[in-house]
Amino acid sequence: MWAYTARRLLGIIPVLFGISLLVFLFLHLIPGDPAVVMLGERAEPERIAALREKLGLERPLWEQYLFFVGNLLQGDLGTSIFNQLTVKEQLARRWPATFELAIAATLFAVIIGIPFGILAAIRKNSLIDNLATSFSLLGVSLPVFWLGLLLVYLFAVNLQWLPAGGRLSIDVDALFKPITGFYVLDALFQPQTFWDVAKHLILPAITLGTIPLAILTRITRSAMLEVLSQDYVRTARAKGLSERVVIWRHAFKNALLPVVTIIGLQFGTLLGGAILTETIFSWPGIGSWIYEGILNRDYPVVQGGVIFVALVFVVVNLVVDLSYALLDPRIQYR
Amino acid sequence: MKYRLLGILALGLLGSLGMAQKILVFGSNGEPASLESGNITDGISIYAQRQIYDTLVDFKPGSTDPQAGLAVSWFASPDGKTWTFRLRQGVKFHDGTDFDANAVVFNVNRWWDPKDPSRISGGSNYEIWGELFGGYKGEKGSFLASVSAVDKYTVRFTFNNPVPYFPVAIGSGYFGIASPAAIKAAGAKYGTAAGGAVGTGPFKVKEWRPGDRLILEKNTNYWKKGSPKSDGVVFRFIKDPAARLAELKAGSIDFTTDIPPANLKDLQSDRNLRAVFRPSFNVGYLALNPSHKPLSDVRVRQAIAMAINKKEIVKAFWGDLGVTNGHFLPGSFKTYYSPKVTDYEYNPAKAKQLLAEAGYPNGFDLELWYMPVSRPYFPTPKEIAEAMGADLSAIGIRVKFQTKDWATYLNDRRNPPGFQAYMLGWTGDYGDPSNFFDPHFASPISDLFDSAGNKLDIKELNSVLAKAASSSNQAERVKLYQQADEITFNLALRIPIVHSQPLVAQRANISGWVPSPLGSESFEDIVKR
Repeated sequence: MWAYTARRLLGIIPVLFGISLLVFLFLHLIPGDPAVVMLGERAEPERIAALREKLGLERPLWEQYLFFVGNLLQGDLGTSIFNQLTVKEQLARRWPATFELAIAATLFAVIIGIPFGILAAIRKNSLIDNLATSFSLLGVSLPVFWLGLLLVYLFAVNLQWLPAGGRLSIDVDALFKPITGFYVLDALFQPQTFWDVAKHLILPAITLGTIPLAILTRITRSAMLEVLSQDYVRTARAKGLSERVVIWRHAFKNALLPVVTIIGLQFGTLLGGAILTETIFSWPGIGSWIYEGILNRDYPVVQGGVIFVALVFVVVNLVVDLSYALLDPRIQYR
Repeated sequence: MKYRLLGILALGLLGSLGMAQKILVFGSNGEPASLESGNITDGISIYAQRQIYDTLVDFKPGSTDPQAGLAVSWFASPDGKTWTFRLRQGVKFHDGTDFDANAVVFNVNRWWDPKDPSRISGGSNYEIWGELFGGYKGEKGSFLASVSAVDKYTVRFTFNNPVPYFPVAIGSGYFGIASPAAIKAAGAKYGTAAGGAVGTGPFKVKEWRPGDRLILEKNTNYWKKGSPKSDGVVFRFIKDPAARLAELKAGSIDFTTDIPPANLKDLQSDRNLRAVFRPSFNVGYLALNPSHKPLSDVRVRQAIAMAINKKEIVKAFWGDLGVTNGHFLPGSFKTYYSPKVTDYEYNPAKAKQLLAEAGYPNGFDLELWYMPVSRPYFPTPKEIAEAMGADLSAIGIRVKFQTKDWATYLNDRRNPPGFQAYMLGWTGDYGDPSNFFDPHFASPISDLFDSAGNKLDIKELNSVLAKAASSSNQAERVKLYQQADEITFNLALRIPIVHSQPLVAQRANISGWVPSPLGSESFEDIVKR
């Protein structure tokens, strides 16, 4: 297993190279010029040309790519051409916000989705099963933007139970000291801010977690159904084991495999797909950062951001693969 | 549970703290690009800078009339080529250093002189100075010849030609006076989230969290006594208008700008909110590029101006928040309106006849470019373009709608031969008509081309604009700009569609906010109950 892990870790390197090349090429294929974006709508062409020169945009593409990769190898992700902050520095500020949101969304999806799916499978064709099936269909087709604004209007504007956006209230912000950047974690050391921090996380987490929730419900349901029809379940029941033991100890553990895969994959997608949620809730994470970077043609930001997300995605996948061994001893790593 | 209880207790405590601290929360429609003065053109940055910096000349609240700022008085030499400013004494920057004539000269040199050592390499380009004042030190077109400190509190600017509107131009929000000591200390980081910004303004920078918020606190040593009236301002960056409106309704922001006109009723029906109208200081227009064959004929352009039912379009898309009148200048410049200019009447039959006279009885194909982004002058560009297109099709012009992403759009319109017909607009920087006419019509026009693909040069208009820009005689300037009004109207190269009143909104417990036509204003007098 250690050899396997090492091999997989080494395998990340060519993947990241491929991604860096793709991101670089696609980014430079998008029409639009960072110099124009930076100089504004009224700049003279001569000034734009001068800035392009300064930014190195006049050099051949392959030269720009080599320069970029060379820096990358030295751990230098470059500096935003738009606000002059280093990409690393900005990444360090922003990834905890996105991670926290993605984790909360995943927890929301897991805590509701798995029991919901199991229940639907056990009571096949019942009311709850119909509910689960139609919900999982609805959930994946809900536009995120619409759902987010709907939740805001319902819970923040009308009922005033939860805040409409941001990570903290203004007055709490004055007292709050970020330590790790994961605000929920930080708030544990500053208990008076905890509820405020948690409150701000609820709506965005639900918004972001709804699609994974729907998918998870569906996968859990079908995985459970499949397992429940297996011989060993019948045997277990025949042995006179209680229904609870049959379902949780025998069936559920075996149904968990595809579920874990989906959770892993979904978590990766959440990181990249948080753009809309972060925009609605003005959440200062990676999603909105990369999005702004694309609008500004801020090449270093987009390249650095995408490579970071890709790296996380690859690592999460590796963790998922490794966790199989814990769940299913039949799986061996070579 | 224990934590939650503690939390509730603490929140109660905080609640009382919150009562003591009056912090304004501004819903900013984006993040500032930079807090370095003289180095930006985007409205969001200027808004933030307006709170941190003072300018030499200020403006009366809600108007474009100049009043004393960091300068208490100013006067021109008889030949109009020299402007002398007397500075306010006893003013300190946020870092405790003194504001004086040397500080002003330091700032001006940084904006104007490409070789100035305090200039910061990288993304800084100070292009606004070049645009407003003809170029940089050492360049042929530069208005400015020299700037110097006469004594500790007097600064003198000498120009190559008279620049009668210099005080209002140097008073525009771009040119906040920054602390030389702070600039030298921060180097290339000045104005960024890492380097901060130091001015003499009502609020000082406490923290800038990229992607999230800019926190400003009260300048307790502000030179205006009793000001600012609140303890601080937080700029929260909320790009999406729907999200911004939701936060305003939920009460997590106190006031915000750039509300789509369609939300006016929404604001008016909510007891807790107030719709506020910013005085109009913009123009949204349809540019007709004469490099395209039918458009090179003035009759065709006038036919288009006649065929578009501008009144109906403005009513439909802006309601009471827009006017259309045929003048390129917004209503704040009524003095410069020529009495001879009355808008082309909406008359499709006459337009058709004009087209036939020009040799296009069966119309022609036209590419109409609409902006991919929303601006106060065109909040919903695509729909407005379609409405204009429908009117044009009634006289036989077959419209094909086009757009591109914003950066490319701006770039390509000035790559010869440019777009055939396109929508664009302008919001003024300072209270002088030259700021509207010169960028759009003075030679060489930046984004219109003649039939040969060269930049369009309208000699008569150029000479009128040049004379007006350098005349110190107000009566003469009025006459010349009225003439420019007539010429541009008859040429119909840019058909003014609308002067819109940007819609802003606040919660009912906010008072003292007077939006400036110039697009940004100080928050010093705003009070939150």
